[in-house]
Amino acid sequence: MVQAPIVDPPDYPLWPTAKGLLRLWRAQWRLVALGLLCALCYSGLSLTIPILIRHAIDNSIAPVSGTREALWPYLLAVIVLAFLRFSLNFTRRYATARVGIRIEARMRELLYGAYLWFPRAFYDRHATGQVVSRATNDLYPIRYFIGWGMVQGAQSLMMICGVTVVLYTVNAKLASIALLAMPLVGVLAWVFARKVMPISREVQQLKADVTEASDEAVVGIEMVQAFGREDDVRARFQQKAEAVRDGVLRQARVESAFLPGLLFLPTLSIGAVLYFGGKDVIGGQLTYGEFFLFYSLLLQLVWPLEALGWIINLAQRATASASRSFAWLDNIRGIPEPENPCDNLSQAWSGAGLEVRFEGVRFAYGVGSEVLSGVDLTVPAGQVVAVCGPTGAGKTSLLNLLPRFYDPTAGRVLLGDVDIRDVRVEELRRAVAIVTQRPILFSIPLRDNLTAARPDAPWDEVVAACEASGVAQFAVELPDGYDTLIGERGVNLSGGQRQRVALARALIAGARVVVLDDPMSAVDTETERHLVDNLRPALAGRTVLIAAQRLSTVEVADRAVVLDDGVIVEDGEPMELLRADGPFARLFGEEVLAA
Amino acid sequence: MPRKQRVGLSRLARYLRGKKARVAVLSAVAVGGAAAPIVGLVIVQHAIDHGMRAKNESVLARDVVLYLLVNAAAWILQTTLIRGLAQVGQGIVLGLRRDLFEHLTSLSLRYFSQQRAGWIIARLTSDIDALSDVLSQGLATLVANTLMLVAAVAGLFVLDWRLGVVALVILPPTFVLTRWFQVRSHAAFLKVRETIAAMTAQIAESVSGMAIIQAFNRERAFKAEFDKDNFANLESNRRAQLLNSWFFPGIEFLGQVAIACVLYVGARLIDDGSLTIGTLVSSVFVLNFVFQPLQELSDLYGQLQSAGAAMEKITTVLDTEPEIQDRKDARRAERIEGDLRIDRVTFAYGRDPVLHAIEIHVAPGGCLALVGESGGGKSTTAKLIGRFYDPDDGAVLVDGVDLRELELRSYRRQLGVVLQDPFLFSGSIADNVRFARPQATDAEVEDVARAVGVDRVARRFAEGLAHEVREGGAGLSAGERQLISIARALLADPRILILDEATSNIDRPTEVLIERALDRLLRGRTSIIIAHRLATVRRADEILVVEHGRITQRGRFEQLLRADGPFRRLAKDLRGAGERLPAELAAEPN
Repeated sequence: MVQAPIVDPPDYPLWPTAKGLLRLWRAQWRLVALGLLCALCYSGLSLTIPILIRHAIDNSIAPVSGTREALWPYLLAVIVLAFLRFSLNFTRRYATARVGIRIEARMRELLYGAYLWFPRAFYDRHATGQVVSRATNDLYPIRYFIGWGMVQGAQSLMMICGVTVVLYTVNAKLASIALLAMPLVGVLAWVFARKVMPISREVQQLKADVTEASDEAVVGIEMVQAFGREDDVRARFQQKAEAVRDGVLRQARVESAFLPGLLFLPTLSIGAVLYFGGKDVIGGQLTYGEFFLFYSLLLQLVWPLEALGWIINLAQRATASASRSFAWLDNIRGIPEPENPCDNLSQAWSGAGLEVRFEGVRFAYGVGSEVLSGVDLTVPAGQVVAVCGPTGAGKTSLLNLLPRFYDPTAGRVLLGDVDIRDVRVEELRRAVAIVTQRPILFSIPLRDNLTAARPDAPWDEVVAACEASGVAQFAVELPDGYDTLIGERGVNLSGGQRQRVALARALIAGARVVVLDDPMSAVDTETERHLVDNLRPALAGRTVLIAAQRLSTVEVADRAVVLDDGVIVEDGEPMELLRADGPFARLFGEEVLAA
Repeated sequence: MPRKQRVGLSRLARYLRGKKARVAVLSAVAVGGAAAPIVGLVIVQHAIDHGMRAKNESVLARDVVLYLLVNAAAWILQTTLIRGLAQVGQGIVLGLRRDLFEHLTSLSLRYFSQQRAGWIIARLTSDIDALSDVLSQGLATLVANTLMLVAAVAGLFVLDWRLGVVALVILPPTFVLTRWFQVRSHAAFLKVRETIAAMTAQIAESVSGMAIIQAFNRERAFKAEFDKDNFANLESNRRAQLLNSWFFPGIEFLGQVAIACVLYVGARLIDDGSLTIGTLVSSVFVLNFVFQPLQELSDLYGQLQSAGAAMEKITTVLDTEPEIQDRKDARRAERIEGDLRIDRVTFAYGRDPVLHAIEIHVAPGGCLALVGESGGGKSTTAKLIGRFYDPDDGAVLVDGVDLRELELRSYRRQLGVVLQDPFLFSGSIADNVRFARPQATDAEVEDVARAVGVDRVARRFAEGLAHEVREGGAGLSAGERQLISIARALLADPRILILDEATSNIDRPTEVLIERALDRLLRGRTSIIIAHRLATVRRADEILVVEHGRITQRGRFEQLLRADGPFRRLAKDLRGAGERLPAELAAEPN
């Protein structure tokens, strides 16, 4: 029994998350170093300027000794240093912002890159909205934390140390009293972060729910309106929106309990300076300038301390978001590449066509019962086989095994006598072209949609495939012909037209095995006739599996198999099967009569 | 701020209705909270001049106690403010989100077919979130700091008007800088939002089309495409941040210049003896409260700009008039009989008509089938019957009443619509079946499920009908989704049923099962069937061949087969299949 791939790993704990973030941070070390250097100089200047003013007060404005110095050199120095500080501050902000932006972009690139290789099972498990939001909205806390928070945090610590040193140098006793309340600020900030973290995680999740609900309502709008169920959908949406509001309010309650307290604590220190410093001034042990220095440096402490609180908060949000992203990046594997790829593949696949063989194939999706319970089927090279069966019999599941969207839970699939798990995925998928049940086209010109599988396909081949699949018929009527932009920004094609484009795309791919999952369900009878007549020559030499719901589709095939409840119950030439009065005849008999 | 944006933001005011008292109290709290620190500094001035310089320790002690009390009051006021503003702000966000959603769901299909789904969803999510950030955190900062700025300037004048004047000299350049920044940064943030939207759309499209990207080894090409978008986003972010990085330190610098000026002038005044050292020191500290709010506000500009931009986009959605809406004199559709008449209807999506003056009549309980080439106008006809569009000319009448005279919702609730690519909502299979009639009992759901073969689908899953369907119905085959949506329409107990290629992915025996169920459960209901499979339309009372927006042939199945016309051509296309069939099987129908 083969283990199902992991598609929903648990979120990472704090430490591995932090390590992952650090790794990204280190890649930007030049800018980070520049930022830190600027932060250091900035902190130094922020201490120097009040010291200068203190001397201006003590030596010039309210001279302690009899001689009065000139004031302007002090003030000039203050302005020059302030200008220097301005440049440093700019450099630090710009450098750190760029770190954040780059890390956001890098993180997004990593996620998107990974998405491209995640297995189908992942997309069965996770809603599109959530997958998208992981690579967009959820990245902002990471960006702000790394881009602003980490350097600002370092700068805050520098300021705190610097202020402490300066104050102790000026007046140790007063400094001890003044700084008494400050450690409490740190404690409070920490407790705050601990309380607010789980709530902000929750809010993030609730916002993702709203995104999902919006997505669903917008995409499913026709159904909503058709049944006049706007009110139900609105009520559902309202519930989710209210949950977000409640979450944000809970967060605000915690913030209101802590943040103003973080501002109040420093005023205790200032009160202490006012009282004890004032007594010293009266006693003559402290000058007005020194009093000013104490006061202004304590004020300068408020923001760094407050910032620490914010940064811890931000760090929590960033790790919350990153813990899921890193868990995805590290633990979800794409379809496994072969450890020992078949080395004589070119020889094994050298023949004109490729034989497809299913051997004792069993398959179940992660949840639910078995869909395929032992399918044995050999399709000789160049044969076209129709896979029929009632809805839910497992036709699509069987076809999806060929390009390895999924791997069987037991048994194996062979292509030209080689187990497809021994072929490099890219090579396998070059050999197998698929038309999915729901045609997927991209918002690019029709031409590019057609050649998506083989961008260098010669144009006459493209035209031939378009003729065979009925794309040529409507392409000429499009505003820009083959250059018409498809999709929401361009022309919306009908379901049948989309199916035909998907069919042409698969033909152009030039693959030797073609998998068609009910490729004509949405085309009209006339076009279907055209397709039935033209597909055979277009498919010549290729091995084809075609899931069919209509007799006319089966008609393309040399042979039909009937799948029911995960096993093949009938196999043979379509005309004979019709006569046999078995499951096949029950599926299609009436259609023959109708026509 | 540009005018448009202001109009957008003023829209938010309507969500404050009925909360005047709360807003008034909060305003008072905010004013108090802003004034408290300034009052504290006036006390500091008193402590320096009347405590320290007068060498009076008891005055000093009293002032310190006062100072602490005032700051404790500020503490309490700010706590109240954060909480109160969050409540008001979230109230606005909730109201706006609700209105936007309601409005969106009332817009007509044309809007949804013209606007990218990703674009619309971004309005409901990231734009509202941008507003929410401003309203829950930003608003507190905005209110507190703006008031603080005003209070600080006032405080300066209270301390000494001459120092106040000096500080005011520095304010105009500050405001000019601020203004310059606002304008530039607005443009920069708009660009950021644009690039984010493009990138989000690219990611969303890739995620939903991943099967094909992978099947055709297109991963690298898509990665390259994505890299372009991601880089454009990075660049626009960088430009916006470059602006941001200038502004904040610039304000800080101007603040230092102001302090130097105040010190210079103050020193002269002290020489005159017309200023005390306490007033000078306090004034310098008060200056902090002039420039510090500007700095904090600068961090907000980004938020405010994106919120403003978000509001502009939201406004464009809110201002979109629903194309289909109830007339003022629209009346409720009572139980309809199902007499359906399409009276010389002409319709165009764009310039060229898709339907040319078509005429259709279906008697109550009748079954009408539309056949013909794709793009011929069959689905458009069905959409007009569902009143997803209004005809450009002519009218659609039900029981002799023009649809435009009926209340839309009351009419649509009597419709059952099944589309070829049915949309399933997240929730269980049973929830989806129950979608159109949430009050249906479990037994009713099970009955319908059994009648159309959904029970067979459900048996695949451990939870049966309670199996959770993922959005869009991933994990279910197209046929299974169709079965569920047919059950959904059946349970709705519609008076008119529209099946638009509803069984195209369903095998014929199951389709027969469904037809029997329809006959049994919907006896006497009017039904419109669009199908490509001829067997599907055989049961219709009348079959119309629709080609190029015109009805080219009409009649009963056998009648049409006998006549020489487009239907026979269609049927012959299929008969082609039969030519290879043994004669005895292609014989008379039973």
